[in-house]
Amino acid sequence: MIPIDTMFYFRLFATYVRVGILGELEYRANFWINMIQSALDLSVALGGLAVVFSHTDTLGGWRPEELLALIGVYFLIGGLIRTIIRPSMTQFMDQVRQGTLDFTLTKPADSQVLVSIQRIEIWRLVDVLIALPVLATALVRLGTRLGLAETAVFAVTLLCGGLIVYSFWLMLSTCAFWFVKVENIQVIFMSMWQAGRWPVTIYPAWLRSVLTFLVPVAFATTVPASAVSGRITTSTLLGTIALAAALLLVSRWFWRVGIRFYSGASA
Amino acid sequence: MEQDSVIHIDQLSKVYTVNEREAGLVAAMRSLVKRKTRAVQAVDSISFSVNEGEIVGFLGPNGAGKTTTLKMLSGLLHPTAGSATVLGFRPWERNRDYLRRMTLVMGQRNQLLWDIPVIDTFELNRAVYRIPEPQFRLGVDELTDLLDLEPLLQKPTRNLSLGERMKCEIAAALLHRPSVLFLDEPTIGLDVTMQRRIRQFITDYNMRTGATVLLTSHYMADVEALCKRVIVIHHGKLLYDGELTGLADRFAPFKTVEVELHNGAGGQPLAQYGELMAHSEGRVTLRIPKAETASVTGRLLAELEVSDLTVQDPPIEDVIEHVFSQSPTPLDNSDSQRPPSE
Repeated sequence: MIPIDTMFYFRLFATYVRVGILGELEYRANFWINMIQSALDLSVALGGLAVVFSHTDTLGGWRPEELLALIGVYFLIGGLIRTIIRPSMTQFMDQVRQGTLDFTLTKPADSQVLVSIQRIEIWRLVDVLIALPVLATALVRLGTRLGLAETAVFAVTLLCGGLIVYSFWLMLSTCAFWFVKVENIQVIFMSMWQAGRWPVTIYPAWLRSVLTFLVPVAFATTVPASAVSGRITTSTLLGTIALAAALLLVSRWFWRVGIRFYSGASA
Repeated sequence: MEQDSVIHIDQLSKVYTVNEREAGLVAAMRSLVKRKTRAVQAVDSISFSVNEGEIVGFLGPNGAGKTTTLKMLSGLLHPTAGSATVLGFRPWERNRDYLRRMTLVMGQRNQLLWDIPVIDTFELNRAVYRIPEPQFRLGVDELTDLLDLEPLLQKPTRNLSLGERMKCEIAAALLHRPSVLFLDEPTIGLDVTMQRRIRQFITDYNMRTGATVLLTSHYMADVEALCKRVIVIHHGKLLYDGELTGLADRFAPFKTVEVELHNGAGGQPLAQYGELMAHSEGRVTLRIPKAETASVTGRLLAELEVSDLTVQDPPIEDVIEHVFSQSPTPLDNSDSQRPPSE
């Protein structure tokens, strides 16, 4: 069920990245536009933190440096979404509408992988670049508590968060097989994503449930951030891993159902 | 399966379920709750075989089921009934080994990526098809040569003209040296020179590699230049499978008789001999039912002062038009899989 040809797909991904870089070099202005945009976003986020912590010492139990880590994670995962997931999935929806998905399906490679990595907007990596110093600062301020084990847990939660967002987005996009026009769902997702800038624990219960279970923003931002600050529980960690694995499998299954519907095999 | 048939299809059928949308807002609201659907028989139990190295023309009007058949053969669609094998594979199982050996070119759709240079799309296909580097270089060089791609390779697709784009599309589709080609309207919208160029290329590729080609085209010139054999479908049913030259014998109930007269018609009403197609300066073209050809030419020669007379099959375009106009049921436009979304 899972593509086993790992090396091949890594090489394929590398080729897409290279082509993505070459293609985007033509639009060098995009680099500066993204740079400015990301810098503004970051300023707003940090400004928000400053405002909040000028009134209080903790927010829903989170200290300033912990929230700084959260912002780092928010930008890191958000950058990856904007670099790979969103452009690829947008292109996929265009392909369904224009019928050019047929070309993807006649290729001798896994269609889900091809679709998921097919477009890389390399300048969006600026968000990731910005995230790194933010995260580093947060880690330094948090002190020496971060050992090897904590780093590993953090990496695992980051990976799981990324996979959860990817799987979720893939399932939304797969709906294009039935409804053709589903771009608006993406817009909704991106606005829900904004809520991930704050720990989900500060929101009222109903919104927290939405951000955790309906749109799994919490797992991509709050959970990795709480791993950094050492507040993550074992059950949360295991739950996150389980959810990532489950969503990955379910989204793949759903993708296959979509393809079967597209080719008229399910009728 | 026959010994050397590359494509073999048997009683292949495809029925689409199409959403029916009625005019008006109320009807549209109602369709949100309960959709009316209608079954469209796009392909109706057709059978044929194609041998290795053959170039076969696949003809039919819009909505006849050509594209649907090609999509089934290239693994994009599951048939509703019947079976098909290509190179020994069942196409819709999408076996990787099968996909590596076939290609699909659609004249109306692009696989080249819009914003990046053509050569980069080639590069992506090299990675996807796992073409070894030396073989890839060789292939690109060869295709560049045959199709004159040299000045195009570094340009982004969006800067190419329609004809240039089509040449690059075809090259991109052939980098992995497929042995079965499904070409759906490969020359559509191109000017005559470019059409001829592409035709010549298809012949060359076929000769060099011995590839099997199944091609649809609305341009009879393509078919006449490339295909000895044609398969005609109409309303999803197979109407004819055989030599292109046999098509007129089989379907055209008419012959075209061209007469040159010494002193004009000499007062005789020409319409009594047959349907008058053209008349100018003593040259007359008549359409005459096939069965009467002998007697009418006899009468023409006896009753008029004829200086020259030729009997011909009508142009292939007219034959095809005639075949397609015969059907009593109206054409539907279900050539593509989905109903229009707008």
